Amino acid sequence: MGEQTSKTKAAKAVKKRRVRKISTKLLWYIVPLVTFTVVVLVAVAGELSKARMKEMANETLESSISNQADNIESWLDNNLEFFSTVKLVIETEHPADFELVKILDAFYGYNKSNPDGMYIGTSSGKLYTARESAFTEENVTESIWFKQGITRVGMAYGSAHQNYNGDMVISATGILDMDRVDLKVIGADVPLDSITVIVNSGVKMKGASSFLVDTTDGTILAHRDASLVSTTLSDTSSDALLKGAAKKIAAGDYDTCEIDSYVAAFKQVEGTDWILVSYIPKSEILGPIYQMSWYLVIIGVIAVFLIIVAILLVVRKVIAPLTVITSNITAMTEGDFTINVDVNSNDEIGVMGKQVTEFVDSMRNMLASISNESEKLRNESDSSDKVSKTMFSASQSQAAAMEQLNETVDQLAQAVNDIAQNATTLATVVSDTRDNSDKASISMKETVEMSQKGRSDMEKLSEAMTGIEGANNELVESINQVGAASEEITNIVGMISAIAEETNLLSLNASIEAARAGESGRGFAVVATQIGKLAQTSAESAQNISKLIEEVRGLIEKAVGQANASAESIRENSELIDVAVGTFDKIYTNIQQSNELMEAMIENVSKVDEVATTVAAISEEQAASADEILTTSENMVQMANDITKSSQDVADNSEELAGTSQTLTSYVQRFKI
Amino acid sequence: MKKIITCLLAGILMVTALVGCGQASTVSAAEHSGDTKILFIMPDLNDVFRISLSNAIMSECEAKGITVDLVQSGKSVEAQYSLVESAKSQGYSAIILKLADASTALQMDVASNGLPIVYVNNKPKDEHLEADKYIYVASNEEEAGQLQAEYVLNKLGNPSSMNVIIIEGEPGHSGTIGRTSAVKKTLKDNGCNANYVFVDYGNWSDSKAEDLFNIFTLTGQDVDAVFCNNDTMALGVIEAMKKNGYSYKDIPVCGVDATSNGCASIQKGEISFSVLQNAKGQGAAAVDAAITLSKGGSIKNIEYATEDCKYIFVPFEPVDASNVSNYR
Repeated sequence: MGEQTSKTKAAKAVKKRRVRKISTKLLWYIVPLVTFTVVVLVAVAGELSKARMKEMANETLESSISNQADNIESWLDNNLEFFSTVKLVIETEHPADFELVKILDAFYGYNKSNPDGMYIGTSSGKLYTARESAFTEENVTESIWFKQGITRVGMAYGSAHQNYNGDMVISATGILDMDRVDLKVIGADVPLDSITVIVNSGVKMKGASSFLVDTTDGTILAHRDASLVSTTLSDTSSDALLKGAAKKIAAGDYDTCEIDSYVAAFKQVEGTDWILVSYIPKSEILGPIYQMSWYLVIIGVIAVFLIIVAILLVVRKVIAPLTVITSNITAMTEGDFTINVDVNSNDEIGVMGKQVTEFVDSMRNMLASISNESEKLRNESDSSDKVSKTMFSASQSQAAAMEQLNETVDQLAQAVNDIAQNATTLATVVSDTRDNSDKASISMKETVEMSQKGRSDMEKLSEAMTGIEGANNELVESINQVGAASEEITNIVGMISAIAEETNLLSLNASIEAARAGESGRGFAVVATQIGKLAQTSAESAQNISKLIEEVRGLIEKAVGQANASAESIRENSELIDVAVGTFDKIYTNIQQSNELMEAMIENVSKVDEVATTVAAISEEQAASADEILTTSENMVQMANDITKSSQDVADNSEELAGTSQTLTSYVQRFKI
Repeated sequence: MKKIITCLLAGILMVTALVGCGQASTVSAAEHSGDTKILFIMPDLNDVFRISLSNAIMSECEAKGITVDLVQSGKSVEAQYSLVESAKSQGYSAIILKLADASTALQMDVASNGLPIVYVNNKPKDEHLEADKYIYVASNEEEAGQLQAEYVLNKLGNPSSMNVIIIEGEPGHSGTIGRTSAVKKTLKDNGCNANYVFVDYGNWSDSKAEDLFNIFTLTGQDVDAVFCNNDTMALGVIEAMKKNGYSYKDIPVCGVDATSNGCASIQKGEISFSVLQNAKGQGAAAVDAAITLSKGGSIKNIEYATEDCKYIFVPFEPVDASNVSNYR
């Protein structure tokens, strides 16, 4: 309770401070800001308009003086032009002296600015004027106008001087360029009155005045104060304005400036040495400026005042609903939700009030439902506590069962793995066998080919052997023919030996006869001897041949014997070869049979291989499945354990929940709804 | 609502105040860009100085690679006006103009459609010039008169009084007014009480000047010095002095412009003194100014520009027997 009271106090203190602050705070911030802005605005506006108005005043003064100077100048120019025209007429006409008066008469009274008309003076002292003119001059050559006149041919104005009548005039004079023996100066006086009118009355600015000064001698030609006319402008003058103006003119500085309490402008009248001075009291210029500044200040003060009042009103109006809302919020913080906020403004504060009302409504509903719900919750948490306890014991037994299942599956997996391994080994062995029998089959085929080749070679050998037998027979026959031939040769040699013996006998007979014949038979005796010798030689040769033939016959008989032996051995070989061929055929047939058996075996081995591979694959899959089953069953064991733990937690939580819902119910019951 | 109204009122007050102040300071922004192209208008080229000035401007532009078109407008104000008026539409960025009539400057300012104008050789009134917009490039005429007077005072030993003849140029011409008034002012400022025994317009002509001097001789007055507004008239005075037996050795005769005839005369010991109006310097300054103003810049950094940025006064150079050989 004590805590609550202090909170409420604090809230009240906060509320009080804020209420006092919002209106004063806003004023504290805004009023100085607004005041400062307005003061700056007034100051800047005042300063700028002051400068501008001063500038404008100066411009007006300058424009006024410029206008006056132009008026004076044009007035002078007009007159000078007229005089110059008259002069030109005279110079052109070139009249004799006595005719001069006639011409002057003709122009007399023509120009109102020149009441006395024009006049001509000569260096010999003569003076010609119009007959009606009152103009006189006692000493022409010593007169001011004559002295001025001889300094130029073109007519120009000289300085101001008094005429015969005592009036102030300026004379336009120049040398008449027509007679270079007796110098003639033509002149015309214009009174200063006209210029005075322009100077005194031609000012185009209210409150401003002017005066005209001849700078050659400082004479004041025109001034509103008639007593100052014809006096000399001096920088020792007692009048501060005249003194300042004199200084400025002496210095040749014709810029507009402030002299004493005046603003003064200067302007030279072109074609003369005259300076027109226009001046206006500063107060004339500053009057409107001060007036305007005052207006600005007053407007500023009124603006500040109005703004403060406006801010106060606005703030009051805006803050009013806040008070209601604040008190409502205070009640709310004390747990009272029976309040009703009634604000119908359309700004943020209105929205705030509306939102607070909505908030209170929803809070009210919410608290009621929370109260209900917490009651329900307590009941439900009690029952869930019971359920979770039952669930805990069930899950514990489940976990134990799962553990057993896991062991069984483990064993199964191991067994399946062994099978898979064996099947794989078998498949490998079969596969090797098949490879080896493939190799054997290939060797067998090679053997078959070899034996076929051997048989054909053997057959070729048999044929060759038959050829050799034939040749051997032919050889025996030939040898036999040689034996017959040598027999015939032996017969022939026997004949030869018989012949040689007869011949030898004949020779002996002959030699005996020859010896009988004596000398005549001597030659015949020699031949008989020789023939005896030849017969002997022939007998010897026949004997030798017969010996040789005997030897040949022996050799032939030997060869025949040998050839017969060869024929015999060939026959034996042929027989052996035939036997070999027969053997080859048998081998070939055997091999062929073996090969066929081998192929049949390979085919069977292949089938075995296929089956073994399939078995291995299947048993591997089985092993993998067994592993998965194992993992799954392990997870299941884990899960069963988790469930056990969770059901323990649930049991704990539901106990806690039951406690919490009890606390909640007790809190909610504290709100007023 | 009241707050809104208050805000609005305050806003209006501020805006009004600011606008009111702003009007005074409205400055036309420089809107020039691109290449500088100068229109150079001369009434004619019948005068030695104008020829030198024109040559100086053309060669300066050539040296700087600037496009420049020289148009001889004759003495017609209308012709000048229409040239100036169409300059902007023809792509020129600045105008250099010798006015046919000095009093038409305001008319030309308006006709230029905001193009800057550099006036030369003929001085417009001060109020028709505007800082960094309508400016005048010349030599300060007063300086010429001042140099003449100072030379004479020095030569005659600063006399307390003097009989003076002034032969002026054309009436109303800026050279005439400036040079003459400066002579008078300088004499006065130096304590010399000048007695002007003869002052008249010689219209820049030697024969007119000679005639005027002849007439002067009839007046029987003494003369101590002759100031002429240009050399040509000084030569005319010398002729008259020769015929009338005046000694120009004792009576100094001064001219302006240091023309070749003038310089020859100085070398012969006739004219005592002249001042050179630096046509080359003026041409260069005019082109510099035209380029600067084309780009919206200020002439304040150009040599001899006055503080108010309305004038560039190229100094005169004194010429007498001692240095005349440099100017021939």
